[in-house]
Amino acid sequence: MALARPNLFKLLAVAATFVAALGAFALITRSGDGAARSGPSISDGKLPRPGASTDERIRGFQAAVRAAPGDAALGAALAGAYLQKVRETGDPGYYARADVVLRRARSLAPRDYRVLAASGTLALARHDFAGGLGYGLAARRANPDADAPYPVIVDALVELGRYGAAARELQHFVDAKPALASYSRVSYFRELHGDLDGAAQAMALAVSAGGDTPENVAYVQTLLGTLEFDRGRLGPARQAFGLALVRFPGYVPAAAGVARVDAAEGRTGAAIRRYRDVVARLPLPEYVVALGETELAAGRPAEGGRDLGLVGAEERLLQANGVNTDVDLALFEANHGSATRGVALAQRAWSAAPSVRSADALGWALTAAGRPRDGLAWARRALALGSRDAVLNYHAGMTARAAGDGRAARRYLRVALAGNPRFSPLYGPRARRALEARS
Amino acid sequence: MIRARRASLLGILAALAALALPAAAGAHPLGNFSINHLTQVSVSRDHIDVRYVLDQAEIPTFQERGRSEAAVLAAKRTEIQRRLTVTVDGRSVGLTVTGASLGHPPGQGGLALTRVELSLRAAVRAARRVAVHDGTFPGRVGWKAIVTRPGVGTDVRSSAPSSDPTGGLRHYPQDSLSSPRDERTATLGVRPGAGRLTAPNAPGDRVRTTDNRAGDGFAGVFADAASGHGVLVFLLLAALAWGAVHALSPGHGKTMVAAYLVGTRGTARHAVALGATVTVTHTIGVFALGLVTLALSQYVLPEQLYPWLNLASGLLVVLVGAGVLRGRLRRLRAHAHPHAHAHSHGHHGHDHGPEDLSWRGLLGMGASAGLIPCPSALVVLLAAVAQHQVALGLLMIVAFSLGLAGTLTALGLLVVLGGRMASRLRVPPAFGAALPAVSAVVIVAAGFVLTVHALPQLT
Repeated sequence: MALARPNLFKLLAVAATFVAALGAFALITRSGDGAARSGPSISDGKLPRPGASTDERIRGFQAAVRAAPGDAALGAALAGAYLQKVRETGDPGYYARADVVLRRARSLAPRDYRVLAASGTLALARHDFAGGLGYGLAARRANPDADAPYPVIVDALVELGRYGAAARELQHFVDAKPALASYSRVSYFRELHGDLDGAAQAMALAVSAGGDTPENVAYVQTLLGTLEFDRGRLGPARQAFGLALVRFPGYVPAAAGVARVDAAEGRTGAAIRRYRDVVARLPLPEYVVALGETELAAGRPAEGGRDLGLVGAEERLLQANGVNTDVDLALFEANHGSATRGVALAQRAWSAAPSVRSADALGWALTAAGRPRDGLAWARRALALGSRDAVLNYHAGMTARAAGDGRAARRYLRVALAGNPRFSPLYGPRARRALEARS
Repeated sequence: MIRARRASLLGILAALAALALPAAAGAHPLGNFSINHLTQVSVSRDHIDVRYVLDQAEIPTFQERGRSEAAVLAAKRTEIQRRLTVTVDGRSVGLTVTGASLGHPPGQGGLALTRVELSLRAAVRAARRVAVHDGTFPGRVGWKAIVTRPGVGTDVRSSAPSSDPTGGLRHYPQDSLSSPRDERTATLGVRPGAGRLTAPNAPGDRVRTTDNRAGDGFAGVFADAASGHGVLVFLLLAALAWGAVHALSPGHGKTMVAAYLVGTRGTARHAVALGATVTVTHTIGVFALGLVTLALSQYVLPEQLYPWLNLASGLLVVLVGAGVLRGRLRRLRAHAHPHAHAHSHGHHGHDHGPEDLSWRGLLGMGASAGLIPCPSALVVLLAAVAQHQVALGLLMIVAFSLGLAGTLTALGLLVVLGGRMASRLRVPPAFGAALPAVSAVVIVAAGFVLTVHALPQLT
């Protein structure tokens, strides 16, 4: 039977409806799939490869965090890359970035040990040692088996002057993970206790253990160079600084180390040129003071005074940013500025972080302010661990001398000059003169 | 499993990152030593203009204290002329200073900053390939960027972006997910032309954080507008046309709009009203999302908002579809018994149904179609804000939405007219009665699909 016309239309219309319905589904499903593809799912390939440069890692993690904003571990990894960037360039703009990223990561995953450990590293870098310790301990509570919290805990304890606890944690750390990060801290710990040979040994182990980035290895090579310098071995010191510069060209701490060796070898002009270059790139108070003191020692008081004036400006900037506790600045004020102000800065530094370094700064500032008897008590505290650090012992010796304790003064000054008699172009000769005048 | 593997890899990376070296000897929290510079290049038929802007922070400024302004400016000029090189077709060309200024805006801690602006020009005819290298102030931390601007009588293809998010080094983006720019080289391909400039989007610009799913060129249209070339009318027409074409790409609710009009037996008036609703909601949607993005850019990325918008839109479609379906079923039931009569007076009920096309449902449908702003429209708005061309950006969004709605309206009209023709062709009553219900089911199903797709993205 032939279909009547209306029936044909009927069938056609029904078929058309179904086709339309199918088409609608196809379209909707397609757009839905598209949305899902661009959603928060990232492939392994998008993450930076291990061994990538810091800039590559930053770019990779930035893209990964954008693609998966809810992944706190990615945030921690990005913050870690930012903190590494500061170590390489000194650009503190990356602190602010790391801070924002970590705040967000903490709100997403408040108990993720990676987020907490990275937060602790940032707090320590900003000299908030108590805050850093809190994050480090929280990270370990979150994951007692992880290594990441240990460097944070150890550094915080050392800076807070809690050396016994630091020793226990450090022992645990180096047993669990004998690598660059633990060896370098063992070295610093030995150095604090006056064992320079042991410190150099541990630092050499850190260098040969190798690191994650060229900068990490350059950093421990620089520290090894400093230990060689402190033991009076200028040749090996220069070599270590040079190797660090080869590994990480333009590395500022190593360039400053070379300048220091130049000054110790009596090549004052070369030292000043190098220091100028360092200060132009990264004007940390430590380097500015070294430049100014080298110029003063070279008999150029006008230039030295002018360069040291920069530290005063930096102090004002730090104050404007709410930082008021710096040990370096306290020592600068004691040596070149207002001793009263140095005492105030050092007292604040001591109450924020009662370490041997702040004890030394406070003692030296008190001596400069005309209170050597008070200063001597603090100098003894600074040397309580047995440090053979030249500057610490020089401060103690000059303080004891001013306090009228000649025997103690000679003892301290001999230690100051024992390792490297040219430890400072300005204070080395002063220590020698003081010692000779006494004997 | 990919996720588990990724997690363990991340664990390793994060652990490595956290193995920081002793903090005491680490960097000092002092930030005021940057030297930032921006080089703006435009190549014209017979000369190359370079504008060099220097923004020097407190510490380097303090280091130059005691020197006269003239001496400082001369030193900067020397540095710039020595280390800023322009190479034309392989030959280095000399730059003549045509203007120079120096200022000391106040900085932190009662200290001053240094701001230098230098205009330079090289007389070069018919350049083909121009390379710019900014080697000034090597090794210093800071924002370094090269930006290209269109010239006169040339068409330029630049490797450097044309946008400058700092407004001439006056404010720096604080986006925690992008690094400061560090660009010291640019190459420009030059042909005779009418002042066109083709330049890439800047890496790290906020606009780049928006995922341009559609992969369309609307944002590129805007880049031309921002470079000061092209007529406004042309731009708006282009935006309109682009919106119209864009509506044809998947995911713009065309099927839902069509199904809705079929299901409710809408008229041409309704199709137009629907189009207007889509325009308004889409414009509002883009503006709102743009505002939210700008206000919360530190905390929220637009990508995070999209899944929620998708969900809201899906649920709205389900609701509207359910409403239409309910109305349809009720009507079907009312007509169910007198099957024989269906033809005679059923005609009345089926042909026009303004009463069963509720305006509320229509608005809901239009809103859901326009609720999800197109990422490319959002890109345009954010780019406009970044370029300080907010008014132009807003206007273009309106044009874009109008184009979008035009297509949807045209589609709706087609469906409505097609429906009339079908009714003239005497569609059998049973089918005529069933079609709207089927359409309603399609709407509900489409809404479910949207909703289900939106859900996994919310994790």
